Amino acid sequence: MAEFEPKIIAFCCNWCTYAAADIAGTSRIHYPANVRIVRVMCSGMVDPIYVLKAFEMGADGVLVAGCHEIDCHYLNGPLKCDAMFEKLKRVVNMLGLEDERLRREMISTSESPIFAQVIEEMVEQLKKLGPSPLRERVKV
Amino acid sequence: MNLEDIIKETKTYYCLECGKCTSLCPVSRHNSNFSPRLMLERALMGFGDELIHDRELFSCLACYACSDLCPSDVDYPVFTQKVRNLASGQGEHGDCAHSGTLLSLMRLMSRPDIKQRRLDWLDGCHTSEKSEVLYFAGCAPYFQPIFEDIEVSPVSIARNSIKILNALGIEPMVLPNERCCGHDLLWTGDVETFKKLAQFNAQMIKESGAKKIVFSCPEGYRTFKIDYPRYVELDCELMHITELLAQNLSTLSLKAKRSNLEVKRVTYQDPCRLGRHLGIYEPPREIIKAIPGIKLTEMEHSGAESICCGTSAWTNCGSYSKQIREERLLEARATGAEVLVTACPKCQIHFKCAMVDKGAEKGTDIEMKVMDIVTLIADALGGKSSE
Amino acid sequence: MEEIKTGVYICHCGLNIAGTVNVEEVARYAGTLPNVVVARDYRYMCSDPGQALIKDDIKNLGLNRVVVASCSPRMHEPTFRRACQDAGLNPYLFEHANIREHCSWVHDDRQIATEKAKDLVRAAVRRVFYNEPLEIKERPLNPNVLVVGGGIAGIQAALDIANGEHRVYLVEKEAAIGGHMAQLDRTFPTLDCSECILTPKMTEVGQHPFITLLAYSEIEEVAGSVGNFKVRVRKKARYVDEEKCTGCGVCEEKCPWKVDSEYEMGLGKRGVIYVPFAQAIPHVATIDKEHCVYFLKGKCRACEKFCDAKAIDFEQQDEIIELEVGSIILTTGYGLFDAGRIPQYGYGRYDNVLTGLEFERMTCAGGPTGGKVLLKDGRQPESVAIIHCVGSRDENYHEYCSRVCCMYALKYAHLIKELTKAEVYQMYIDMRCFGEGFEEFYRRVCDEGVNFIRGKVAKVTDVALTEGEQGKLIAIVEDTLLGGIVRVPVDMVILCPALEARSDAENVAKLFTINRRADGFFMEKHVKLDPVATATDGVFIAGCCEGPKDIPDTVAQASAAAAKALSVISRGRIVIEPTIAQVNEALCQACGRCEEICDFHAPKVISKDGLRVSSVDAALCKGCGACAVVCPTGAMSIRHSTREQINSMVEALLEV
Repeated sequence: MAEFEPKIIAFCCNWCTYAAADIAGTSRIHYPANVRIVRVMCSGMVDPIYVLKAFEMGADGVLVAGCHEIDCHYLNGPLKCDAMFEKLKRVVNMLGLEDERLRREMISTSESPIFAQVIEEMVEQLKKLGPSPLRERVKV
Repeated sequence: MNLEDIIKETKTYYCLECGKCTSLCPVSRHNSNFSPRLMLERALMGFGDELIHDRELFSCLACYACSDLCPSDVDYPVFTQKVRNLASGQGEHGDCAHSGTLLSLMRLMSRPDIKQRRLDWLDGCHTSEKSEVLYFAGCAPYFQPIFEDIEVSPVSIARNSIKILNALGIEPMVLPNERCCGHDLLWTGDVETFKKLAQFNAQMIKESGAKKIVFSCPEGYRTFKIDYPRYVELDCELMHITELLAQNLSTLSLKAKRSNLEVKRVTYQDPCRLGRHLGIYEPPREIIKAIPGIKLTEMEHSGAESICCGTSAWTNCGSYSKQIREERLLEARATGAEVLVTACPKCQIHFKCAMVDKGAEKGTDIEMKVMDIVTLIADALGGKSSE
Repeated sequence: MEEIKTGVYICHCGLNIAGTVNVEEVARYAGTLPNVVVARDYRYMCSDPGQALIKDDIKNLGLNRVVVASCSPRMHEPTFRRACQDAGLNPYLFEHANIREHCSWVHDDRQIATEKAKDLVRAAVRRVFYNEPLEIKERPLNPNVLVVGGGIAGIQAALDIANGEHRVYLVEKEAAIGGHMAQLDRTFPTLDCSECILTPKMTEVGQHPFITLLAYSEIEEVAGSVGNFKVRVRKKARYVDEEKCTGCGVCEEKCPWKVDSEYEMGLGKRGVIYVPFAQAIPHVATIDKEHCVYFLKGKCRACEKFCDAKAIDFEQQDEIIELEVGSIILTTGYGLFDAGRIPQYGYGRYDNVLTGLEFERMTCAGGPTGGKVLLKDGRQPESVAIIHCVGSRDENYHEYCSRVCCMYALKYAHLIKELTKAEVYQMYIDMRCFGEGFEEFYRRVCDEGVNFIRGKVAKVTDVALTEGEQGKLIAIVEDTLLGGIVRVPVDMVILCPALEARSDAENVAKLFTINRRADGFFMEKHVKLDPVATATDGVFIAGCCEGPKDIPDTVAQASAAAAKALSVISRGRIVIEPTIAQVNEALCQACGRCEEICDFHAPKVISKDGLRVSSVDAALCKGCGACAVVCPTGAMSIRHSTREQINSMVEALLEV
C-alpha cells in the first residue's frame, strides 16, 4: 500500500515568504513536494475561509507564512494576520484538529533554509498524524 | 427535483398575486429588487432560469411574515428553500457574510471522523453523564471566538441555560461531539450536508438515551422539530428553555435583580423561529413578567407581527439588512426600555452588529443593551451568572 | 456571458524546468482543462519568439485569458503582462504558474515534480477564469508643496523646492521663522555663528519668488490625499499691518509693558508689542494679545501713537487661507524636556542651574547678558558643571539618546574656557562624538583643561558640608573611572535636557493622519530605507520632529524630504494602481471596520446620496487586503485578489 503523502497548502506573502521560497529554488534547496504555494500580497490578506476551504477540500496541513513584523511592506500586516489566526486557531481546535496541522510562520526573504525546514517538519509530523480528520472520508 | 416539482409540492400555484406578502416583507420594504410575489411569479411563468440565477433568491429571511398572513396559505419560505437547493446545484449561493466561514464550519462539522473539543465552556457547570434531559448547545462554542468582539457571548447563553436547568433540579447531558443542527445549510440550499448533520445528531442522541432535548436556540429547536422528521427518526420531546421555565415558574425563586445588571425596563424581540415558525409567544413573556422589578413594554410590532432581526443564514447580509435592524432597534428604543431582550443568539448577534460603528464620523446612535432572556433569568436566580 | 478562451504555455527554460518536469505531459494535461483552447510547450517563453507564440495566439485564436507556467512571477510576470498588452489583451487577464523556483529546482523525482506542475497549472487556469480586466488610472495633481514649520529644516526644504521653481507655502506658528537654530550661539564643531549661517537662508526665504511665507499662522484642517490636499490655514492677527510695518522697533521701545521673552528663554524681556529677535523674518512687529493692556483693559495704545508708519491696527482679524497642495513636508521641530521634572538637579529652585538653550542665549553676543557668562548676581562663575543626559537615556523619562548634547556640552566647555577663567567639569556617561570633526573637537576640548568626570550626577545641592562648599552648588556624582563618590562645588550648573517630541505633536499627527513612535516623535515609513516618508502618501517628515538630530543631519533630511515631495509632484499626475480595494455598496453596512484597520487611511465611511457607505481613496490604497478580511459582509474586496479568485486556487489545488 502506498505511503500516506500529506497535502499541504501554504499561503505565502509576495514580499517575504514567497520570495524566500523562490530563493530556496535558486539555491536548489530541496524539500518535500507535498506543499502547494498560494501567493497572497500580504499575510494580512489571508482570510479564514481560505484555510477552512483548504481543510474542507482535503488538505492535511495549512501553513500561513509572511513577513516578520518589522519587514512588512504594508507596515502591520503580520499583526493583523496574527489577530485573525488566533481566532481561527481556537475554532479549528474546537473541530478537533491537531495543533500541527495549522501553522503560522514568519519567514523573511533571507530565510529560505527555514522555509524548507518548516516544510520538512510539517510533512514529517503530518505523516505521523495521518490524514486530516476533517476530510470527507478518512478511512479508505 | 426540478422547478415544476417544487411548485407542485409547495402548491404555490394557489398564489393570487395579491401582493400582501410584499407589503408585509421586511426585506421588500428596504430592497426594491426583492418581492416574494415577483419571485414566485417568475417561477410560475416559466422564468425559472432567471430566478435561479438571481442573487435576490437568497435575500428571503424565511421570517414567515408573508406566509403567516397569505390568503392562499402559500409557504413562500419553503418554496425558496427548495429553489435554493436547485440553485446551489448550479453553483449559486448568494453573497455569504463573514466570507462564508460560518457555513464552512458547519460543513466541516458534518465530516465523519471529527472528534471535537467543544466542551471547554462547561467549566464549573453541573452536568451529568447520563440524564433524561439533553441540552443542545449547537454552534454556540464556535460563535464565541467569532463574535466576542461585538460583545456577544454565545457561550454565556449556554452556561446560563445550564444554570437555569440546575435551578430546576436538572443536570442535563451535553454531548461532546454534537454537530450543528444544520439550519443555515438547509436554508441556503445544501440539503445533502444537512442530511449528514441530521443523521449524526440523531444517531448520537439515540445512543445517549435522552428523552427530552432543551434548546436555547430557536433555530436548532425549529430544525429538530420541523425539518429533522423528514430525514431522520428522533423520538424525543423537544422544548425551548423558556417553555420549560414557563411550566415550572412556581418552583423558581426569582428575585429583583442582583449583580451588576441593573435592569428595570425591557422590551422583547420575538425570534422568527420561536414565534411565527413554532407559535411560541407567551412563555418568554410570562417569565419576564415573573421577575419582580422588571417592566415589559411591547414594541410597536410584537408577537406575530414582530419584525425579523434582518439576516438569515449569514446570506445576502448587506445595507438592507442594516436598515431592517435600525428600523427594529428604533422601535425598541421608542419603548423607553433600557434592555432589548432576545431569545435567540442570532438575533443578539445581528442587533449588536448593527451597533458597531468604528468610523471616525459616527452614524445614527442606536446603541442599546441587548441581552438574552436566559441571562436575564440566570441573573434573577441569584448567584454567579455569566455575561 | 463571454466565452472564456484560455491559452496555456509551459516553458522548458532550457533544462531548468524540462530537466525535471515532463513539460510535454504538462502541456497535454493543460489542453484537457476546461476553457483551454490551446496548450503549448516551448524552450524559452520569455524570449521574443516565446512571447510571439502568445501574441499570435491572442490574435489568431481570440484568446481572452493566458497562463504561462515557467519561472517565478516575481521574475517575468511583467514581461508576459506586457506581451499580452501588446497583443491587445488586458494585462490582468494573465496568470503565472511557478514551476521552476517552486517545483523543478526544489524537487528531484520526475514523476512527483510533474504531478505538482500539473496541479499548479490547473490552479492557474482555474484562477485566470475569474480574473477581471483592470486599468491603471491617473489623476491630475496640484504641483504646490506645503512645508509646516519654519525652522532650519523647513527653511532648507522650502528653498530646495522653490529653487526647483515649484510654489511652496511655508507655514510657521511663531511670529518669525528660524526656530531653535535662531536661538543658538555657535554651532559645533566648527563654532560657526548660528545666526550668521541662518540669516542668509531666512532672507532668501523671505524674498524668494516661489515661496509664500505664512508666519504667525497655524494649520486648522487638512483634507484630501496625495496630489490633492486641501489645507485650511489660520493667519493669526498681529494687529500690525505687515505691508506698512518697517520693523523699526520703536513700538517695542515705547511699550510700557514688558514680559519674559520666549526667544531669550526667560533670561530677558520683550515688549508686549515686539519683534522676536534682531534678524527676524518677517521683520515686523506683533502684538501679544494675551498680555496687551489695550485688549485686556481697553487702555494704552502707546505703540499706535509712536508708530510713524501708521502700521498698528487693533481691528485686524485672523485671516483664513485655503491652500491646495500636492505634497506636504512636516518640519515642526522638537520640544525641550522640562528639567524641573528631575527635582534632584534643582532646576527652577536654584538660581544658577540653567538648561543648554538658556546658556546659548547667555553666550550669544546679542543676548540678554551681552555675551557674558554671568551668574544671577552678576558675577562671573569660577566653576561650572555641565551635566549630560538630563532626561535622556533614562528609563524614567526618555529611553533614547538625544544625540546632540555631548557635542554642545563640549562646545559650552570650550566657550566657558574662552569667555571666562572658570574650571569646567563635564559629568558624562559616554562621549558620543560620531560626526565629522566631532572626535577632533573632543580632543581639542580635552586639551583645554576641561575636567571630565565619568558619572551621572545624582544630585545638585546647596547644602555645604565644608568651608569650600559655602555659597556653591555641589554636584554629587560617582567618578566611575576612579571609583568613589565626589562632591564637586561649582558656581553654575548647565543641564543638557533631552530633546523630546513637541507638546502639540499629537495634534499635528492627527491633523495630517500620520503615526507617532512610542517615543513620541513622528513615525517614518521605514527606519532604514525610507526615513523621511510616512505611512500617509504625500506627507513627509524631516528634522527633529522625526527624532533628535544636529543641524547637518537636519539639513540633509530636509533636502531628502524636498526631493521626495518633488518626486510626487514632478510627474504631473498621480498613478493609481488598479489592484486595490473596492466596495460593493449594496453589501456595505458602514460599520467602519475597514476604516479602523487601515494603516494608510484609504477607506472612509462617508455619506453618499443619503446613505452611509465606505469609500476607498484609490490614491492611498496599497491593496494589502486587511480591510477585506475584517469586512463582515464581504462588501470589501481587493481587485485581482478577490476571495473568489483565491478560493478557486485552493479548490483547484486540492480537488485531484
